[in-house]
Amino acid sequence: MGRVAEKEMKTTPNTQPSTSNVEPSAGATTSNIFWRTVDFVVAGIFIYAGAIKALDPVQFASDIDNYKTLPWPVSVALAFYLPWLEIFCGFSLVVRSLYRGALSILTALILVFTLMTIAAKLRGLDITCGCFGHASQNWSFTAHLALDLILLAAVIFLLGVRRRELAVNT
Amino acid sequence: MRYSLVRQILILAVLALIPAVGGAVYFRHKISWRSAILPSEMVTVDQARAWGENVIWVDARPDEEFARDHVPAALSLNEDRWNELLPQFLAAWSPGKKIVVYCSSLGCNASREVARRLRREAQLPDVFVLEGGWEEWLKKR
Repeated sequence: MGRVAEKEMKTTPNTQPSTSNVEPSAGATTSNIFWRTVDFVVAGIFIYAGAIKALDPVQFASDIDNYKTLPWPVSVALAFYLPWLEIFCGFSLVVRSLYRGALSILTALILVFTLMTIAAKLRGLDITCGCFGHASQNWSFTAHLALDLILLAAVIFLLGVRRRELAVNT
Repeated sequence: MRYSLVRQILILAVLALIPAVGGAVYFRHKISWRSAILPSEMVTVDQARAWGENVIWVDARPDEEFARDHVPAALSLNEDRWNELLPQFLAAWSPGKKIVVYCSSLGCNASREVARRLRREAQLPDVFVLEGGWEEWLKKR
């Protein structure tokens, strides 16, 4: 393991708040509550989206296949796997365990979803993204893209905030 | 317990794998890994022919390809003009008839999509996809 990572493991909390003796200011507390709320909202969205797709992997496989970028067996494998990855990452945000890993995965996922949505639109494919199962079947491209971008912004901000916390705590 | 970022990602990735495998086992009869269409929803040219008059052939290819040539008595129903063509198709359909949808070849998706929409949106039973599509029909004509 790299020295930086080792140092990080020894000195930075992944789940626990800072053990510093300095009392947090009111502003810091408010900010913490705000970002914690964002944690919960993002987690809730991913857990909900994951649960819906995990219950109907057949439909999700078909939705992935509609993008016409992956072979069918890969679409099926992803249809079984991605929903659970979203659910686990969502729970990680809630319980703040494996937190940075979950945020990194969610950032990558939402980035890929966004790019695939845009690519599908550019290729003239009239498809449903399948992000929220049947619930999102009638969403417009703009609605999909807007939600993707909001989620992307939220996870990137969360990554930034936690990284800053990490820097302060070390 | 604290982990490096890479380890956190790996742990989550492996954790998600466990229920994913469970799901794959649980849904094994509802999805095929080899084809987007379940074997029970596919039909060969010979099988479809054996059904005789009890079949409605549906051509899911674009209009120009349908105009060039098609299975005798087939009805055109493609996604480009779905709303326009569906009522015509429904008028020709009657309960008990089997529907066989085809597109150009083994690799095309149009027949699968049309079949899926006929099942889901039009709520029709006995909808099948022709294995090999129009190419296969030509070979066995």
